[in-house]
Amino acid sequence: MTAYILRRMLSVVAVVWAMTVLVFCIVHLLPGSVAHMILGEFATDDAIRLLEARLGLNDPLATQYWRWFSGLLRGDFGLSLTMERPAGPIILEALGRSAILAGISIVLVATIGIALGIHSAVNKGSPSDHALTLAQYFFIAVPEFFWCILAILLFAAWLGWLPATGYTPLAEGGLLGWGRHLVLPVATLVLGLIAHVSRMVRSSMLEALDSQYVLAARAKGLAERIVLYRHALPNALLPAITVLAVDVGLLIGGIVVVETVFAYPGLGRMLVYAIDNQDLPLMMGGMIVVTCVYALANLAADILYAVLNPRIRYGGAAT
Amino acid sequence: MADAKTPLLEIRDLSLRYATARGKVQALDKVSLALPRGRAMGLVGESGSGKSSLVLALLGLLGKGAELSSALAQFDGQDLRKTAAALRGRRIGMVFQDPSAVLNPTLTIGYQVAEPLIHHRGLAERAALARAVALLNEVGIARAEAVARSYPHQLSGGMKQRAVIATALACEPELLLLDEPTTALDVTVEAQILDLLDGLRRTRNVAMLLVSHNLGIVDRLCDDLTVLYAGRVVEQGRASEILQTPRHPYTRGLLAALPRADQGRLARLTPIPGGLPDLTRPDPGCNFRARCAFAEEACTAPQALDDKAGCQVRCHRADAVAAAPLPQPEPMAAARKEATGAPLLIAMEMSKSFRLGSAFSLTFSGGLPRLRRATEVVAVDDVSLHVARGEVLGLVGESGCGKSTLGRLVLRLLEANAGRLSLDGQVVPAVPGVEFRRRAQIVFQNPDSSLNPRQRVREALRWPLIRFGLADGAEADREVDRLLELVRLPASYGSRYPHQMSGGEKQRIGIARALASRPDFLVCDEAVSALDVSVQAAVLNLLSDLRERLGLAYLFISHDIGVIAHVATRIAVMYRGAIVEQGSAAQVLAPPYHPYTEALLSAVPLVGAKTRVRVRLMGDASTAPSSTGCRFAPRCPHRIGAICDSLPPPVRTSAQGHRIACHLPVETLAALPPALGRAA
Repeated sequence: MTAYILRRMLSVVAVVWAMTVLVFCIVHLLPGSVAHMILGEFATDDAIRLLEARLGLNDPLATQYWRWFSGLLRGDFGLSLTMERPAGPIILEALGRSAILAGISIVLVATIGIALGIHSAVNKGSPSDHALTLAQYFFIAVPEFFWCILAILLFAAWLGWLPATGYTPLAEGGLLGWGRHLVLPVATLVLGLIAHVSRMVRSSMLEALDSQYVLAARAKGLAERIVLYRHALPNALLPAITVLAVDVGLLIGGIVVVETVFAYPGLGRMLVYAIDNQDLPLMMGGMIVVTCVYALANLAADILYAVLNPRIRYGGAAT
Repeated sequence: MADAKTPLLEIRDLSLRYATARGKVQALDKVSLALPRGRAMGLVGESGSGKSSLVLALLGLLGKGAELSSALAQFDGQDLRKTAAALRGRRIGMVFQDPSAVLNPTLTIGYQVAEPLIHHRGLAERAALARAVALLNEVGIARAEAVARSYPHQLSGGMKQRAVIATALACEPELLLLDEPTTALDVTVEAQILDLLDGLRRTRNVAMLLVSHNLGIVDRLCDDLTVLYAGRVVEQGRASEILQTPRHPYTRGLLAALPRADQGRLARLTPIPGGLPDLTRPDPGCNFRARCAFAEEACTAPQALDDKAGCQVRCHRADAVAAAPLPQPEPMAAARKEATGAPLLIAMEMSKSFRLGSAFSLTFSGGLPRLRRATEVVAVDDVSLHVARGEVLGLVGESGCGKSTLGRLVLRLLEANAGRLSLDGQVVPAVPGVEFRRRAQIVFQNPDSSLNPRQRVREALRWPLIRFGLADGAEADREVDRLLELVRLPASYGSRYPHQMSGGEKQRIGIARALASRPDFLVCDEAVSALDVSVQAAVLNLLSDLRERLGLAYLFISHDIGVIAHVATRIAVMYRGAIVEQGSAAQVLAPPYHPYTEALLSAVPLVGAKTRVRVRLMGDASTAPSSTGCRFAPRCPHRIGAICDSLPPPVRTSAQGHRIACHLPVETLAALPPALGRAA
């Protein structure tokens, strides 16, 4: 088990490192001078030369990469070009706000998605299963931005129950003010994901319920509740964990959209800002942080998978 | 508790119908049986006869859409229709077929055995686990504490089935329902489990209802026997009597179709023609009529179970035709081409090993990362064999012994690590040419997965003709008709898709496809294992007819010694990647033989051979031998001593070419008792 976790951790480190190379290359190997890109098409040659010298763009690529990469290792993300202050704290602050959004979302997706999936599987073919199936396909098919706009129109503009955009820190607005800004972004984020996860749990739960070991558990005379939660569910959750980890990726994509539409000052909006304003250090730092989040989410899923699956916890035949 | 005279289990006129896409299927039709305390009843019939449905009906575990009706269903005086849920797991224990699928992969063995005790007896988890260890001990598991703590994937198939039996026994049931309890196991492990069940009957006085397709197992374990055909009881009575003198034409047919290891190649098998009747429209008359050799006009009338000296038969002609023999199918008229003796295919020193996992893996020992080379498993180890024209070399061994790998090596379908191969004196290179592919073909085990479901039979059979440039256009069509005629199917089958045919018919197409290129050599890899006995007999007959008519040579791979003994002219016995014995069928099936062959033969459940000597092996084929000695030594009942572990056994070759790899002298091996229970 320890060896397994160490192996997974090592691969996370490898993935993140490979990503730093990739991100660096994408930014620096694009045609055209970086300084030119930053200063725009009407920049004078002098201004470009000055900026190139300041950013060290004339050094060999390897040197530039090392300068950036060693900075990352020390927690130094460089200086934001547009805000003239260190990128690290900016990213960190944005990450914290996004983490709130993502954390609440993933917990909701996991609990509601799994619960709905179990309900559909146990009541397969019932009216509620049919209704859920229909709803699931609908929510998987319709993209987030549609819900964003609909939610703003309905709850903010028309009913006026919730603020359309913005963010209030906990310290300023209290729990209510803080929470009011989260409701709409979280709700639009989770709709599609809950549909996805519950679909998945439904099918893996159906497979488990159809298995020989569930038939055997019933033949043992066990109560239906124990058959469901002790015998079927742990096996059905294994594929769900993998799907949840993949959904973290979808969630990050969704966050970029949702934060932009709701003007929520998180990592997604920051990334869009950095790209719009050619703020390279901010952009690269943000991308690396997103990579780390995704890789760590997958690591967590792998570990959880191992904890629930004895075939990984205890390797091959022992006895 | 009811008095001792009433049976423990009694059902009368139990019928079951369930809805399918094609309409309502009559799965069981007025089935009655009575099982007294402590007795064992066998329930036999081919797939689709409704035997598993009956077991699930008794447990009250039929799914939705099942319509069950019965005049009486009693367990110990209680109405089973109302109390099944309260009885199962408590007073009725259940053992299913495949222990790998039955045990929950996420729970420990100990917990799964203890579970009934926790929920039905209210034992605390700790006490229940202690009891589980005792139960595991009782069913013959050594180191029961360690096994209780392990998970299913860490145990072998036999161990898992023992654990399943321990679970069924946990609440001391009075009745055990066994649904094909040994079908998923190797024959030597099957013998161990049968011994265990036989012992449990005596020590616990538990009644058993054993569902099986294997008449040998029923004969070994059961007092009574019920024969089911298409949902109806056709014969019922004492097992030994029925198996000795079956009266219903279906039971007679089943026994005549059974290839028997103890009768060798003497008899031609008698298949039962046709297939199961359409159960959506149950026949009011005898439903076996369409397949019966003795059918007459009066058979359209409903048949009653007539009782004669405690043995019931559902056939009004049973006595009238008792003396009449079952008609033998005509063998194919053809000039007999006997084995010429000159080897057609020669494989020398073939070896193949497989890597487990990726080539290198990262491991951590003492906190330090280490790159480790993956372990290799030797599937085939330095094997030499030859097959002559017109000869059938039977290759027998338990699962994982490497027999299928060897079959693919001699066809060059797998790349060998070492070894030479020649066909008809021509060396076959590692990447063989088209001509070798044409001359050497294969018939696979499962026609469902080896035939393309989207291809009509005609297309499937045309492909090899075109590929090998044998025929094209109208000529190919004529050739396809010839092939269909060869495997005794009407030409109209050419336009069918695989799903429109029965298992036996599909396997015939598999054979026709292999024959399309007019090969000299066929590998039959478990070619009849997926088929019911009555169909299997027809396919075996077909294969031996084709051998005689076309002079084909076969490498016939099977785990079923009965089948091998029936078809093979020579037999090779394989254990853990090596051939331990090789010789003519008569030589291998009688002493002197290798101790493993002895155990293998002794483990085969035979009909009517209760008294023969039983040699039982410890463990299973995964028991690892030392790297230098005899690979069978750890399980060998005739082990001499240290020499078996340290030196590879010498190959003792008789003047007649009988080869045995064993340290024991031939004289000692010759003195072993005949394991098939007949004089050598």
